[in-house]
Parts: sequence; structure tokens; C-alpha cells
Amino acid sequence: MTTIGAAPVIRVEHVSRWFGSVVAVSDVTFDVMPGITGLLGPNGAGKTTLLRMMTGLAKPSDGAVTVLGEPIRRNPSLYGRMGVMSEHETVYGFMKGREFVRMMGRLRGVMDEAAVDKAIDLVDLADAADRPLGTYSRGMRQRMRLAGTLVHDPEIMILDEPLNGADPRQRVHFQSLLRKLAGEGRTIVLSSHILEEVEQLADTVLLIVNGKLAASGDFRAIRVALDERPYHVLVVSDSPRELAAAVVKLESVDAVNVDPDGTLVILSRNVRDLQIELPRLAQSASISLRRVEPLDDSLESVFGYLVER
Amino acid sequence: MLPIFVLTLRQLSGKWRLSITSLLAVLPVAIAILMVSFEGAPTVREFERTVLSGILAGAISPLVVLAIASAAFANEIEDSTLANLTLAPIPRWQIVVPKLLAAICVSGPFIAASAFLTGYFAYSVDIRAALAVTGAAIVGVALYSSAFVWLGLMTTRAIGYGLLYIVLWEGFFSGFVTGVRLFSVRYYSIAWTHGFDVRRFAGFDDFGFGFAVAASVVAFGGFFLLSVRRLCRMDVP
Repeated sequence: MTTIGAAPVIRVEHVSRWFGSVVAVSDVTFDVMPGITGLLGPNGAGKTTLLRMMTGLAKPSDGAVTVLGEPIRRNPSLYGRMGVMSEHETVYGFMKGREFVRMMGRLRGVMDEAAVDKAIDLVDLADAADRPLGTYSRGMRQRMRLAGTLVHDPEIMILDEPLNGADPRQRVHFQSLLRKLAGEGRTIVLSSHILEEVEQLADTVLLIVNGKLAASGDFRAIRVALDERPYHVLVVSDSPRELAAAVVKLESVDAVNVDPDGTLVILSRNVRDLQIELPRLAQSASISLRRVEPLDDSLESVFGYLVER
Repeated sequence: MLPIFVLTLRQLSGKWRLSITSLLAVLPVAIAILMVSFEGAPTVREFERTVLSGILAGAISPLVVLAIASAAFANEIEDSTLANLTLAPIPRWQIVVPKLLAAICVSGPFIAASAFLTGYFAYSVDIRAALAVTGAAIVGVALYSSAFVWLGLMTTRAIGYGLLYIVLWEGFFSGFVTGVRLFSVRYYSIAWTHGFDVRRFAGFDDFGFGFAVAASVVAFGGFFLLSVRRLCRMDVP
């Protein structure tokens, strides 16, 4: 695998794309480095349009996309180093899985049948490789498409919603495969609506909301940057009402809700102070804390917040 | 280019498409046989105007080629599979060439067989005349293919626009507006027939064989270049 060093592998600079009066992507700028980068956003946020511009399939209305320092648009020579899996799940139904992967390889200069077998093995579909793609389940089609993306051993992979249709076992397999590929020095950009999995997979997250880059970077770094947002913390104790009365006086607490089942939900803008003060308070009041759990420490909640903002 | 050629051959060889193509291809042969059976051997001019120009070159050939060639890219665009090809590290012309060749290879045999049998029966087993008609029909297939492959890249309504072109341009206007014939594949095909067999077909040219050859090269190359240009510039779905 080529060592690319510190230079960004993909550079997106002030990229916009509009369709008539509809702005799909607006002045987005970011760099993609080796490792796994997750692209997140609600439906219609502009993720696919952005990925299509990153692969050269679509032309930006404004701005520039470069891959390995070269413009990607109308530059087919770069595709030998890239593997792209688009969001569309349509396949050549008359073609056997192996034929499809072989064709994808041939088009990318791979004449070695062993590379075809290796790509099919990687997605764990050797048993079904000689069946027509039209007979595959949705998840199998996605995996065979991934094999077609991997067959020429690309150093950059751009995957649009690759987990669609995969069952839980396949997801786990897929995650470990992507981690392995990223561990070999590849640059992988993937979009997904399965936020938990992106959170587990991606080293870097790009959050796209209404065509704009709402946030980027490490997931937890994004959370810190969003310090104006109140956090919800669930607390289960043996004296919920007493604890609520005491906790509400803390400076780090904005509000406290007591559920009918005795569960407290504390709203705080300063979780760091709360996590120090809460045990002290409980100890001094002789209240036993049974469970303390952040309710929104996931991409889903960050994403929801950004969308609402 | 071979993988794209093989892929396109398989895409264009669907049962329904080939069945309709076969039926269309039989039509000129049947008409030629009927003409010979009921009216005796037609005159060269009469046969050329009615069957070769009106039916074969002006209707059956473009219809068959439209059904096949316009699907060469249109199917990929409709199914969003074109990205599999355009994301390969190959120049765009290496995608257009095999697609165009596949379209010619699928529609060509039907039209060639139809043209040969039509000429064979109409000209009382004159092999040379039949071969001239066949050769000209193949040239027509190539020209229509180049145009309709491009049309399939330009619009999702290629069949509709193609039918309009066949009916209005090749069928209607070229029939009575002489100037239109200078830009008509149908009349290029007729001129090629004349060129291939001067003995039987001499004296009926709207324009010379040389002009037809030059115009055919320009039309074929022009639409091919337009297809490459379109594939370079379009947003691939």
C-alpha cells in the first residue's frame, strides 16, 4: 500500500452544487486523511451529491475537489487507485457474481483470476459466486458490489451507504473488513444512516446538514465543541425525590425531571462538574446511586441536535 | 474494451427486443416476395422507391437500430450502473467504441439478413444486387447506430425523439424536400447501394456515391465524437 504521508488524500475546497434554485451542497471545505472517515447527515442533506463530486461523477457548480493532488473530474487515470461503491443497488441481474467481479477487475487492469477469488473471499461470498446476481438477496448484492470495488486493491475507497441491506452478522463482518483495510493504510470514506456503526468505525466524522458542513473531526471532539448543548444524564437512586431536590441546587444543573418510575433525568451544560459533584452530593445525603448514564452520548443525538439547530 | 463489448451484447440481447427485431426484419422480405408473386419482377426504380428506400432504409432499419442502439447507454443510465464503467481508469472513447460496436453487432445481422433476402427475391436471384443492398443496409445500420447511441446518452426519452426523427425527418421531409436528403441516412444508404452495384442501380442518384461516402464518414464520426464528449461532460447517475 502506498504511503501517502501527511498530505490530504482528498481535498474538498469551497465546493457547492446547485440544481436550478435548489442548493444541494453549499460551500463545503474539508480534507480527508488516511483512515476511515464517516459522512453523516439526514436524507437530502447532500451526502450523496458530495460523494459524487468527490468521485468525479458530478461536477461541482463551484469549488474544486482534488484526489492525491489532482483534479478528480475528467481524470480517469485516478480511478485505478480508487474503489467507488455508489448508493445505487442495481446490478446486472443476468451476470454471475464472479463474472461481475471479474469484469470490474478487467476494466481496472486486473487480469489475475486469483485477485477475483480473493475479493470474493473477502466479502465471504465464495459459495454464491457462480449464481446470477439477480438471485441474490439485497445484502449479498451489496457485498458482491463491494468485492467489485475491492478487486483492484484500491488505496482510496468511497462507499455510499455500503451497509444497506446487510444483516447483523454481515455488518460485523463488514466492519471488521473495513477496519482491516483501513489498518493497511487505505483511505476510506463511507456514508451511512446507521449512526452507531459509523461511530464505532470512523476515525473522523463529517456531519452534513442542509448541504453544509455542520461539524467535522473526532466524534468526541465534536461533542466538546457543542458545549452550548445541554446533556441528558439518567440517574437511578434509592431516594429519587430527595436527590432531585438536592441536585437542582447545583450550578452545573439546568433542570431535573423525575419520571413516575423514580428515574431522574438531569439536564446539564457542564457534565464535567456534574460528574464530580453528583457522587459527593449523594454521599453527603446518604443516597445510594444505582445507575448514572449519559442518555445522548451518541452520534444520533449529536446529529439530531445539529439538524434541529 | 472487450468486457464492455461483451456486457453490452448481453444487455442488448434480451428475448423481447430480439423477438420484435426479428418480426420487423421479416417485413421487407415478405413485401418483396408479395411484390414479385403478384406483380412480377418490379422495376429497379419502383422496387428501390417502395421497398429499399421507403421500408428498409427509411423505416425498418432505423426502427430496429433505435430499439437496440438507444438502449446501449440508456439502460445503464436508467439502472444507474453506468458508474461501474465510467469509474474505470479508461478513456471515455474506450467505453463508447465497444457500446457502439455491440449495438451494430446485435442489430446488423437482422438488417443484413433482411436486406439480402429482400434483394435476392426482388432481383430474381441476382446475388450481386442482393449483396449491394446488404452492404448498403449495413452502412445504414452503422450510421443509425452512431446517432442513436448518442441519443440514448442525451435523453431518457430517446425512443420518443428517435421515432419523431424517423417519421418526420427520414420519412416525411426527406420524401419531398430535396435539400433534406443531403442530411438523410436513408438517402446515404440508397447512394451506397448504387455505388456497390453500378450495373443495376446506375442513374437514380440524388447525389453522387462520393458525397454519400464522405457524408457517411462525417455523420458516423460526428455522432461518435458527440457521444464521447457527452460521456466526458455529463453527470453520471
